[in-house]
Amino acid sequence: MNCSRRGFLKLTGAGVACLSLGQLGFDLREAKAYAMALKIEGAKEIITICPFCSVSCNMIAHVRDGELISTEGDPDFPVNEGALCAKGAALTSMSKNHHRLLKPKYRAPYSDTWEEKDWDWMLDRLARRIKSTRDREIILKNQKGQTVNRLESVFHLGTSHADNEECALIHQAMRSLGVVHMDHQARI
Amino acid sequence: MTNHWIDIKNADAILIIGSNAAEHHPISFKWVLRAKDKGAVVMHVDPKFSRTSARSDFHVPLRSGTDIAFMGGMINFALENQRYFKEYVVNYTNASLIVDKGFGFKDGLFTGYDPKTRSYNKKTWSFELDANGVPKRDTSLKNPRCVFNLMKKHYSRYTLDKVSSVTGVTKDNLMRVYENFTATGRPDKAGTIMYALGWTQHTVGVQNIRSAGILQLLLGNIGVAGGGINALRGEPNVQGSTDHTLLYHIVPGYMAQPMADWQTYEDYITSNTPVSKDPQSANWWQHKPKYFASLLKAWYGDYATKENGFCYELLPKIEKGADHSYMFLFDRMYKNQITGGFIIGLNPMNSVPNSNKIRKALDNLDWLVTMDLHHSETSDNWHRPGVDPKTVKTEVFHFPSAHRVEKDGTVTNSGRWLVWHNKAIDPQGEARSFGNLYVPLMNRLQGMYRKEGGTLSDAVTRLNWVENYDPEEWTRRINGFFTRDTKVGDKVFKKGQLVPSFVALKDDGSTSSLNWLYAGSYTEDEGNKSKRRDMSQTPMQAKIGLYPGVAWCWPVNRRILYNRASVDMNGKPYNPEKAVIEWDGKKWQGDVPDGGWPPMATGKGRYPFIMSKNGFGQLFGPGRADGPFSEHYEPVETPIASHPFSKQLHSPVYKFVTSDMDVLAKPADPRFPVVLTTYSLTEHWCGGGETRNVPNLLEAEPQLYVEMSPELAKEKGIENGDGVIIESARGRVEAIAMVTVRIRPFLVEGKTVHLVGMPFCFGWTTPGTGDSTNRLTPSVGDPNTTIPEYKACCVNVRKADTLTEIAR
Amino acid sequence: MTKSFFIDTTRCTACRGCQLACKEWFELPANKTKQLGTHQNPPDLNAYNYKLVRFSEHMIDGKVEWYFFPDQCRHCVFPPCQGAADTVIEGAVIQDEATGAVIFTEKSAKFSKEDFQYVREACPYDIPRRDEKTGRMVKCIMCLDRVQAGMLPACVKVCPTGTMNFGDREDMLALAEKRLEQVKKTNPNASLANPDDVNVIYLLGDTPERYHTHSVAQASPVDRKQMFASVRKSIAKTVNGAEQS
Repeated sequence: MNCSRRGFLKLTGAGVACLSLGQLGFDLREAKAYAMALKIEGAKEIITICPFCSVSCNMIAHVRDGELISTEGDPDFPVNEGALCAKGAALTSMSKNHHRLLKPKYRAPYSDTWEEKDWDWMLDRLARRIKSTRDREIILKNQKGQTVNRLESVFHLGTSHADNEECALIHQAMRSLGVVHMDHQARI
Repeated sequence: MTNHWIDIKNADAILIIGSNAAEHHPISFKWVLRAKDKGAVVMHVDPKFSRTSARSDFHVPLRSGTDIAFMGGMINFALENQRYFKEYVVNYTNASLIVDKGFGFKDGLFTGYDPKTRSYNKKTWSFELDANGVPKRDTSLKNPRCVFNLMKKHYSRYTLDKVSSVTGVTKDNLMRVYENFTATGRPDKAGTIMYALGWTQHTVGVQNIRSAGILQLLLGNIGVAGGGINALRGEPNVQGSTDHTLLYHIVPGYMAQPMADWQTYEDYITSNTPVSKDPQSANWWQHKPKYFASLLKAWYGDYATKENGFCYELLPKIEKGADHSYMFLFDRMYKNQITGGFIIGLNPMNSVPNSNKIRKALDNLDWLVTMDLHHSETSDNWHRPGVDPKTVKTEVFHFPSAHRVEKDGTVTNSGRWLVWHNKAIDPQGEARSFGNLYVPLMNRLQGMYRKEGGTLSDAVTRLNWVENYDPEEWTRRINGFFTRDTKVGDKVFKKGQLVPSFVALKDDGSTSSLNWLYAGSYTEDEGNKSKRRDMSQTPMQAKIGLYPGVAWCWPVNRRILYNRASVDMNGKPYNPEKAVIEWDGKKWQGDVPDGGWPPMATGKGRYPFIMSKNGFGQLFGPGRADGPFSEHYEPVETPIASHPFSKQLHSPVYKFVTSDMDVLAKPADPRFPVVLTTYSLTEHWCGGGETRNVPNLLEAEPQLYVEMSPELAKEKGIENGDGVIIESARGRVEAIAMVTVRIRPFLVEGKTVHLVGMPFCFGWTTPGTGDSTNRLTPSVGDPNTTIPEYKACCVNVRKADTLTEIAR
Repeated sequence: MTKSFFIDTTRCTACRGCQLACKEWFELPANKTKQLGTHQNPPDLNAYNYKLVRFSEHMIDGKVEWYFFPDQCRHCVFPPCQGAADTVIEGAVIQDEATGAVIFTEKSAKFSKEDFQYVREACPYDIPRRDEKTGRMVKCIMCLDRVQAGMLPACVKVCPTGTMNFGDREDMLALAEKRLEQVKKTNPNASLANPDDVNVIYLLGDTPERYHTHSVAQASPVDRKQMFASVRKSIAKTVNGAEQS
């Protein structure tokens, strides 16, 4: 791990690139010294961004064998300089979470249960639903006879959690279908 | 934000109003405290004493919904006491423009009001023009009809007595803020206003912000380091999702959604492109045709040609005045006019007002798509408490979504910085990014329409779409391409190459861009600029914390908007210690200037507010639905029956819906004497769907509470920690009483008014934590934005005998 | 040179980044808590919260004050807990010489409940807690794993406001004195909490009792023990409630 850019070193003196235990003054032979393993030792560092408020605090994800070990603020991003709040600090348990939805689920009309389905089944059925609704309900002309191409009966809500790329493609897709009821968190 | 997060450190005065910055944008306080360390005064004006107040120099309690009175009093104070920055006001704002003779204001109404349509005819909200069609000016500010004098007259009514009486703020506290903040009306001082949803979520939300605009222009605080009007913004990518427009009324890049009256591409261009006859006005929106044509070209690719109006005819067109926002959507859903739809990364069953109605409305859908990290009150609405699933017809498709740490892409922060996040790990289980829902879905629809045909199939089949979702492909599409070999200056670009900036965009079909504001963010020379991490700065940039090489910022990497107003007519910074830009005789140094023209004094310059037609900062703002100046009106539900500014109790143009479930308390309704305001908190995120399911966050804030003063608690026989019932005309909610001195009773128009505050992050899918606070709030909204009035409604509070929603 | 924290409560916004970062780094499970009429939650330090932001609000001369106190082990220069523990099992509490970190070792699992209470009573700041599942005494370990690797403790790294600071003891003491001098100008009651005795030096902007009962060591060990005998019962009740309810 390259620790030359971690703030701690400012406090321990300039010119030290990366400290070993010995350099820090630990003596493992001394009975009263207590040595501990670092859980992120050797983990890959990947820059990510906190998914909450719009400060966009940059973070470093520590990943080993495809597993998220830990996350913390990125000291090199000049807005947060390594800092985070309570929510940002809890990012790891937000991703690795007992409650996450892991499979697509389907609820049939009037049913009292969810059924697990695969993505293709869900997408095929949904596409059919959308097409039949659109073909049936799109309004091509208004009362004045003007062309309006509005699918008023279908809406799209969300989301400011989406990336810019996703927002751009969702807008494009929805307008092509004729959707006009479109809104998201910017209004609530 | 006109400025950016780091820039807060440059302020000499910080007014936090309509925001609880320390709790909702905790990192902002890194920069607020840096300013404070250097002597800045930090003021928090808010109904409740919060963690923000604790770290401010002082807190001023304000009755929720009276911000315009508070700000109007400050504008009046600045004008009466010559606290404004005169040179700036004369040269850079529309203070000197002469307003149409017909314009006036009487007893709470501006001219042109039609009570039948509840709207204004804004014909007289305009400027007198000279023979050349240029607005007439009186730079001596003596003309009684110039903006400055009309404004002065308007705000002269906002006396300390009246403001104090209606806001519940003592005169001492008013003066303390007014003195400290208007002290920045000097060339060498800067004051910033930090606001958030505490200002937008009112039926006068836009005018709250207009008040800040007027004040900051008077003080010369726009365009300068440490100044600005800084919308902290709520959501993780709400800046980007607004820029790229998951909204009904605009298309990406802040251009109007096509309307029925604009039947052709030419109609749209003519009606939406402003024309200025003033050679000194840059009137930047004159370039709109280039941006709109490039957007349509990006949507419809080779099918979009100049000859066919770039496929404009295929687009949906809304009716003039039609409102397709949440409030009206859910009302139509309640009235069985909606068949199906998508709700992704959002929990409206918790976060939209009058949730009892909203939840019932959702039952009327035939089909619903949800996509989220968890089950939520929205995905699981069909089996909510008290409802038999066997009576709910809706077919629900619930998709697992990837967390941000599990995908690549860009977001845009409040300071307009475009930043890239990397996929660190694979999505958990079968979760996918949002892009991986819509791309394959549209592929299926395109396939079906190609094979089977259908209604208006060209709109779908001709779409310029992709086989698989690759985020960076869309980052490039957003930036835009040349669609044919093109020469820009002396540089030749090949077909398929990225456009270098929005200046290269054309309206002849030779360029595409999904958002003109982002053109230049991904270029042939420098690649994906959202990934940049170059910390280098010039000494001038270092002084004010400008990092031009870190990430990228729209527009054209300009970090402080309207920065040409930070210099005098000769291009010299008003505050050399914190210069944003400076003319060195040949070019501008520092930040990217708002246009590269030389200083105004050369005669070749342009007015600094380049996005407004006339080039001036708009003290007089004729574009809004509710008036060119801000005016105090009470919230739709108010504890008082009249107010001292006019007979017009409420905004004459606020929006509302009507149904059997949209019940409102009448003014000063004795059944609901207590003001309720709602908010978020540090440990939970908005509707709470994500954070309630993070055990460590739930541990810190486990259950719904209501904060109230010891005085109210005593009156109602409530002890700290008791279960209580809060009721409005629309609903009933259980909460735990948090009796605190941080909430004070207000003295309003001679009577005591109590206020209580509640978060809205708890919901029934996290058992025992409480359920939606928004069962209490009303479906009434701002006339410009239709943002609902979450921040002020009327309720009553009583001790609960038993609790069913909250585990004890 | 040992290490010290400097905790400047006059800068704290109670964002609880530190409280959460600590839980996340040590992967501590959540307690099932309830809203009890305060934002302070869990109500007290416990086996799963080595760090807790305490909230206390006051109306002082008509002015509201809300004080925040990010509580944790003080890593005493001469730790009384070690003295007490040594009389039971030597090595259950050790002090890392290089850093000064006070560590409860695996050997503390051999303590009986009474032994644990004895050690807890010896602490002037009421820090030690017992993990009922493992029997071990637990508390803040100065993120020794991180510090040994040249990193800042998790609670310091995460802090947005400059409340949490960490470094060589001499530097932290100097920083504390400097900040005290500045804060004194507006807050005449400001003080440093037992700076000579501890490696976690708090700057308090007002009188210590307005922050937390144990913000400073209040009494001599003998008096303290007597006092704890009465206070402990109520605390123990709350803590056990928080952990197990």
